[in-house]
Amino acid sequence: MTSPQHRSKRMSGAIARARRPKKEHMETLRLRVPYWFVVTVLTAIASFQIWMNPFGFSDLVQRYSQDVSDLLITGPYFYGTEGRNDVSVAIVDENTLHTLNSPWPWKYGDHARVLDALLQYKPKAVVIDFLFVDSRPDETLKDLVAEIGRYRKAHVPLYFEGGIDLPYGENPLRPELANTGVPVIDPSIPINQGVARQYSATGRCFTQKPGGDGTCPSLGLRVFHDVYGKQYPLAHINDMMELVWGTRTAPENHWITRTDANGNQLSCFAQMSLLKRWYLAFFDTSAVKSPCPYTAEFPVDAVLLHPDDKDVVKMATNRVIFYGGALQAAQDRTYTPVNDLLPGVFVHAMAMDNLITFHGQPYQNAISLGGNPVNGNMVQIAATFPVILILSWIHWRGIRRKRRGLGGPQRRRSITFEYVIEKMVEKVWHYLALGLALGVGLLLTRSAGLSVANWVEVVFVSAELAALVLVGLPDSIWGYLHHVAGGNPGDGSAAVPVLETVEGQAV
Amino acid sequence: MRVGVGLYAGMALLAFAHSALAADEACAGATGDVVLQARTPEVDLYDGPSGKKVMTVVQAKFPSCAPITGRASNFMLQVSMNGAKYWVPPYMVKYRFSGKLPAVCRNLAMGSNEQKVGSTRGLGEGCPKTGGSH
Repeated sequence: MTSPQHRSKRMSGAIARARRPKKEHMETLRLRVPYWFVVTVLTAIASFQIWMNPFGFSDLVQRYSQDVSDLLITGPYFYGTEGRNDVSVAIVDENTLHTLNSPWPWKYGDHARVLDALLQYKPKAVVIDFLFVDSRPDETLKDLVAEIGRYRKAHVPLYFEGGIDLPYGENPLRPELANTGVPVIDPSIPINQGVARQYSATGRCFTQKPGGDGTCPSLGLRVFHDVYGKQYPLAHINDMMELVWGTRTAPENHWITRTDANGNQLSCFAQMSLLKRWYLAFFDTSAVKSPCPYTAEFPVDAVLLHPDDKDVVKMATNRVIFYGGALQAAQDRTYTPVNDLLPGVFVHAMAMDNLITFHGQPYQNAISLGGNPVNGNMVQIAATFPVILILSWIHWRGIRRKRRGLGGPQRRRSITFEYVIEKMVEKVWHYLALGLALGVGLLLTRSAGLSVANWVEVVFVSAELAALVLVGLPDSIWGYLHHVAGGNPGDGSAAVPVLETVEGQAV
Repeated sequence: MRVGVGLYAGMALLAFAHSALAADEACAGATGDVVLQARTPEVDLYDGPSGKKVMTVVQAKFPSCAPITGRASNFMLQVSMNGAKYWVPPYMVKYRFSGKLPAVCRNLAMGSNEQKVGSTRGLGEGCPKTGGSH
């Protein structure tokens, strides 16, 4: 049998069966599919889908699911307001420049006055979201230096941001300011496919002393650690924070209005019922997005001109204040999943909000094993595997029952049972995959702090696998391969009868 | 405990209101725009509306009922002190204006359309009303 002649015959037989397979043989052979083969096929398909990210589809699905979750589920119904009550944004916008008749850029002394006005309210901390890089001559620079001293004296933490990727080797912060010893932090915001969905855990150190691992915390994490570290110990961030964007605008923002698609001026608090929200989002998610920021915001002209206003007092007292700009010329705007374009300062504010709301345990994009981050794709494949095992087992048992049924006498059943209950049970259990995957995902969120974007593909892939199992793909592949390999449908063995070829049968 | 906290808060509020009212009453004779008293523990004095800081005085040494001799477009207030003229930021003092302060609103905001004269106004006050629920 192992002579070259026999080997050649076997090969030509296999090629012939591959080209012109016999349907009835394959139908019989597919019922003999082993459990391990079903598991292997499904694992291969899931791995391909998750690892290869065909056409970027997987990434898009993950991030879009996260956006939809923020917009329709988490943001409006589940995200807490603890952080919202502790964070504010003091903004310099076009109206501020117009009201104060002060064109941009401001003198250092103008910033010093704003900072001093904020200091009167004894905030928890103030973060300046402006870069002071240019060494322009300004005799009021010493006022800003003096203001840093006032903050220090009042024990109110003050943070400056350092310039990054500066083209001419400029200092990240003017030396006159940096020499005061004020903390300088990296303000980078990672943009995921054009939208601010994540937040860095680490950044450049500038004047900070690196930690044990040689890195320095990003802006939000540094401020949180300094202000809330004793109250809420900060969890180790394995790679990046996944931002959860709130949608319920802070009540203090009653002075801001929005314009809807029809040009109507509406309050930022115009409520939308659950059904309407979902109905509108079904056709166009932008219909339920709001330009109103979630974080409480007040213009700095209000602090200077109306310092005793109750809203200003509420927003500035005992809160972490981000002092930033919303200026047309500044180009510091970022898309968010729930607002479209917002000034970049709100991304830092939202990161701080997340850290406070989740008590230092924000959602993450990676889990760690033994202190090392685990690849997200590997986590998703591992999360899909139990679903594959269960799906395969149920499917394989069904096939085995069918095979036994074909060989032995049929059990007597009523027509109702045969055509309604049995068929229903036979098909419906595939949807179990969805439930299983959702359960695995929620488990990952609860136990490992992974965000929905990092496990939602498990759900989609599981549904896809269930559909493939429903149409019998793994057993069809087995039937075909077994047939090509010369499997004998008659005796159930895989022994290859050498002469059993299409050509041979024709003879 | 809560009653005690409430009592202290009420007393503090009364003391604050009394101080503000007292300052206003004390300057009842002064006409026109007047700086009633210092609002912050220290008051910075500037050499111009957009100038540099030349001096800082403590609250107790800042004059009361000082007439406002000039108002800059950025709302810095000019006052006389020891025979010299200085500019002070508006948030550092309590003042009384005969005119109106600009409304603080963005786009078309919620709130009352009533204009209050001679007093500071809140965010959203003086802005046109809009549709939609609040």
